[in-house]
Amino acid sequence: MQLAILIAALAGTTVLLFVQPAWWLPEAISAHAKNYDSHLLLTLWVIGVLFVIAQALLAVTVFRFRDRGQQASPVEGNHKLELIWTAVTAVIFIGLAIAGQGIWAGVHLRSSTDALKIEVLAKQFAWSYRYAGPDGAFARTDVKAVDDAGGNPFGVVGGDDIIAPILRVPAGRPVELLLKSRDVIHNFFVRELRIKQDVVPGMTIPLRFTADKPGTYEVPCSELCGLGHHQMRGTLVVMPPEEFDAWLREGAVR
Amino acid sequence: MTNVARTGQTLLIVASSMLFAAFTSAMVVRRAAGTDWVAPSVPVWLWAAALLAIAASCLVAKKFYRSAALCGFALVASQIAFAASLRMGDVAQSFAAVLVTAHAAHALFGACALWWKGERASLFWHFAGALWLYVLWLIGVWA
Amino acid sequence: MTIFSTDHKVIGKQYIGLSLFAVLIGMALSLVMRYHLVHPDAKVRLFQMLWPDGAPGGQMTPELYLSLMTMHGTIMVFFVLTTAPQSGFGNYFLPLQIGAHDMAFPVLNMLSFWTTALSFLVLMAAFVVEGGAPLSGWTAYPPLSALGKIAGPGQGLGQDLWVLSIALFCVASLMAAINFIATIIELRAPGVGYFDMPLTAWAWFVTALISLFAFAVLLAGGILLLLDRVAGTSFFIPGGLVVSDQIQARSGGSPILFQHLFWFFGHPEVYIAILPGMGVISTVLSVFSGKKVFGYRAMAYAMLAIGGLGFLVWGHHMFISGMSPYSSVAFSVLTLAIGVPSAIKTFNWIATLWGGRIRFTAAMLYALGFVSLFITGGVTGLVLGQPGLDLYFHDTYFVVAHFHLIMGVAAIFAIFAALHYWFPLLYGRFLNETLGKIHFYCTFIGVYAVFVPLHFAGIAGNPRRYPDFKEYEFLKSLMPLHVGVTHAAYSLAAIQLLFLFNYFWSQRKGKLADKNPWGAATREWDHD
Repeated sequence: MQLAILIAALAGTTVLLFVQPAWWLPEAISAHAKNYDSHLLLTLWVIGVLFVIAQALLAVTVFRFRDRGQQASPVEGNHKLELIWTAVTAVIFIGLAIAGQGIWAGVHLRSSTDALKIEVLAKQFAWSYRYAGPDGAFARTDVKAVDDAGGNPFGVVGGDDIIAPILRVPAGRPVELLLKSRDVIHNFFVRELRIKQDVVPGMTIPLRFTADKPGTYEVPCSELCGLGHHQMRGTLVVMPPEEFDAWLREGAVR
Repeated sequence: MTNVARTGQTLLIVASSMLFAAFTSAMVVRRAAGTDWVAPSVPVWLWAAALLAIAASCLVAKKFYRSAALCGFALVASQIAFAASLRMGDVAQSFAAVLVTAHAAHALFGACALWWKGERASLFWHFAGALWLYVLWLIGVWA
Repeated sequence: MTIFSTDHKVIGKQYIGLSLFAVLIGMALSLVMRYHLVHPDAKVRLFQMLWPDGAPGGQMTPELYLSLMTMHGTIMVFFVLTTAPQSGFGNYFLPLQIGAHDMAFPVLNMLSFWTTALSFLVLMAAFVVEGGAPLSGWTAYPPLSALGKIAGPGQGLGQDLWVLSIALFCVASLMAAINFIATIIELRAPGVGYFDMPLTAWAWFVTALISLFAFAVLLAGGILLLLDRVAGTSFFIPGGLVVSDQIQARSGGSPILFQHLFWFFGHPEVYIAILPGMGVISTVLSVFSGKKVFGYRAMAYAMLAIGGLGFLVWGHHMFISGMSPYSSVAFSVLTLAIGVPSAIKTFNWIATLWGGRIRFTAAMLYALGFVSLFITGGVTGLVLGQPGLDLYFHDTYFVVAHFHLIMGVAAIFAIFAALHYWFPLLYGRFLNETLGKIHFYCTFIGVYAVFVPLHFAGIAGNPRRYPDFKEYEFLKSLMPLHVGVTHAAYSLAAIQLLFLFNYFWSQRKGKLADKNPWGAATREWDHD
């Protein structure tokens, strides 16, 4: 009997903790992030209900059928019941899987052609960013031209690209990051945007977002990349569009 | 052959097949992805070594297990000689080296098993022989 | 009884003994890790003594933390969860349950244990070689794991030994798988059809089938990784890399290819870790409710379904790896589909209890705890299995919480249940019931206290595999949570001493048991 109470208590405490605002996600700063949060909430509700029902069933069963000298029933199966609960489970689980694909499609399967393209370079253990500059094109790079000390982590040759240590983007405009790594796998993650993508050497991976709220956001590397993995802190600054345009112009002149 | 011996060899064949399936899929993916694939050249004498594999299987069918094992050892020697000639820095050759060496290990195991256990290793040997023909085709024709 | 015995009962105990030794090391590592996370600047004499290079002046370096973490994962996944449930209990009890005199290939059985033991020694050697143990995690993703010493400390000889250890483990596991499957196919006593076997035998059967198909692929991946490290090949290393300011002369390899090979093994591996436990739970729940298992055939088919489907879902570890987003969709649907047979098993367990007469022995408590923990850990799978949601939770503590609850807790509870249940057969005595019950209640509460809060760290976006949380504002605010978890972990570890004492003391001084003390109906209790 104590077990039944314990199961109920643990399940109950878990649920109570989950609904505390203190544990909730950081603020959502894009439309995608808000969609994300809605679907996460739906999923948490579904699993919360399943969790409570299953634990309650277990607790009730354990309590009700504890040994009080009764005869155990000889039931060995019930095909109809099995079919029903299998079907219901399948519908819920697969339904949830399908319902969630929209968010994924929004990030990876749709693109807008007028996005601002920014190259992101990950290396052990820092982030660098490259903007196309006034000529509107990314300059050629050569691995032999790489020179961290000289401020050329990309190995840019010629051109008028702007290299920056902080990622600045305009609020409200679509951005497409072109993620590249110079050494091992890293991962670009912005919590408030609810986006995350592995950065794989040998590949250029696009990651699209539209940030709505200006502010400064931390970017923690999220794929083990060596002893500095936990110190590879990037910064995303979302600026009002006019400020961003001004910054870009100034960067070009410099 | 007892049922247990047959079942055991069949299971070993399954596991080996998975190993080569994994190498094959890695090779397929890699060849499709890059522009640096240069087909490895398989010398005539290695193709001739395929005859050794076939001969060994025939000998096994006729129950001359030790003779078959000798063919097997000769096959392994040819495989090692070929693998040693490959350059690991070249991608296609590195795959060839992996496949050939992995097969050589299996062929060596199979030949030893034929030598000491005779009939109870025959099923595995037939598999090893057929697998060699597959590997030869993979690196000599498909690549 | 020689140590190279080919007797399945001896070999079973040897595997259990190896796992016990391994779990103590693995647990010690986790305590050191948790300590460091909340006291990153502490100078500890013990660390300096154990790891003079990794902890100069007693302060643990990030690379030491990462190497301890790598070894923790490797030891626990391979030498605890893939060993005791299958090769430990399976070797001892499978032949007895199906009426066989021993396993099909007793010498192979002995070889598979000793290869496993060798594999463990090779892994432990990584701690003491120059550079220490590798730091690339139990998943060892290249290029980090493939580039050698320039990628970081521990990535030299330590990583080589790691790969070698895993390769040996693959060979040992394949040998064991062949043995288990051949035994079940060929050595069932007359009258023991497939659907007359107890569910534990089914679990060992399906687990061995999974191992047969999965371990060879890991072996392939390991061989290719080792070649990249020592032979200058470029299976996984692309061109144009600049590491430690040196341009690397490789080209054309794909890091994602390794992930495919690894996880093609890695996902079935988690079913290898849990299925034998599920078999034990079905048995224990049935015996101590006085009822047959509800839906025996469905349970057997569910295990087959889990085993088969388990090979189709590996991509859910790689949703944001850079592989095609379309494959993520396919993997996601399959992943949530595999939740269905797992749910069926949970319902069947509860239905087994329903209408029964439940005796709360220690074994039964662990089995009931397993069901509760399986539910808790399992439901978060529905979050992580959706790529649209995983793209926030990947590589956060939410994942850590999920897999620890299922593998690090539920599977371990199944081992506790199995030990309490079968102790009379292993040693002719009972494990002490009172100690067992105290241990159960404290551990059950303790695991909830350690792992449920980690979900919240994940929700806040706390990345995993961070040696400390000092660099980020949002992580600093999570420190109270981590301190609580660490303290709970200390208590949880301390309470395991109770079990350890019980285990060794009862072998000599436990209450004597008669032939079939629980009134079970399976053949292993029909002994002399």
